[in-house]
Amino acid sequence: MDGAALSIDPPLAQPEAADAVPALVRRAAAGDVAAFEQLYRQHVGRLYGTILRLVGRDRARAEELTQEAFVRAWQKLASFRHESAFSTWLHRLGVNTALMDLRARRDDETTDDAALATAAGGAVPFCAGERADLERAVAALPPRARAVLVLHDVEGFKHEEIAAELGMAVGSSKAQLHRARGLLRRALGGAA
Amino acid sequence: MNHELIWRNELRKLGGPALPERDLWPAIHARIAATPRRGRRWPALAAAAAAVLVVGGAGWLGWRARTPPATDAAPPAPLAWAQPELPALAAAAQDLDAASVQLQQALERRPDAVFLVGLLNRTNAQRMRLLRQEAKAR
Repeated sequence: MDGAALSIDPPLAQPEAADAVPALVRRAAAGDVAAFEQLYRQHVGRLYGTILRLVGRDRARAEELTQEAFVRAWQKLASFRHESAFSTWLHRLGVNTALMDLRARRDDETTDDAALATAAGGAVPFCAGERADLERAVAALPPRARAVLVLHDVEGFKHEEIAAELGMAVGSSKAQLHRARGLLRRALGGAA
Repeated sequence: MNHELIWRNELRKLGGPALPERDLWPAIHARIAATPRRGRRWPALAAAAAAVLVVGGAGWLGWRARTPPATDAAPPAPLAWAQPELPALAAAAQDLDAASVQLQQALERRPDAVFLVGLLNRTNAQRMRLLRQEAKAR
């Protein structure tokens, strides 16, 4: 896992005119690889950033999953119905790809009751500290707790959406978020 | 500002784009060039069209062996279907149109053959589905 701070960059490509993206998407859906490459260049930054956070800043894994997400996007593009923005559709697909990988690994299946109890205490207040500290603390969370925290608190997903993506009950999503926040408070409080 | 708000604001700031350390496009390009697209129904439609051709053709050939050929009948014109622009769809459309012409020819020779009417209806339904597929893909 990479310990370096995330390199957050400005948007990686100039946003295109509103009608240019659907045209590119249509061309790519019809098999135009050059159009799909343009879509890749426009969207890789956002997708990779999200996946990188979901996998705890493991850059090699994030690159592998980002690659997989774009291959899946190419394969599914013909079924994209333009009911949502392409960026939203692609982002969902990328998140789903990363979560499928998370579910396949299943190395954090059981909720640690002791950790939950400790987290529930909430005795340690949040200390803003350095951004890098926060990134490291999020990356160090157990995988499922991290996924829920990133999706809810960073990406703005609702619990219902997270539960559906992760195949868990809504209550479990809330419990994992509570756990993640508690563990994060402890980690940051201890570091401060 | 209370701790919860600070907390949420700091976490929100973690969002944003990041650059992979290497360009992923060459590997993606290689994979999409080697992998057929999923989620399309062209192969299934092409298989269905082939089945229509085989069944319809066999029935027609069997009937023709028993019936003297017509001498003055002009070949029926295919229905005026819109032609798909997507290459995979266009190929399936050609198969279906060819099947449709053969079935119409067979029906002109033997208008009482109910099974030919059924095959023609199925072929036309599949042709209609092709057009819907193309509309969805756009």
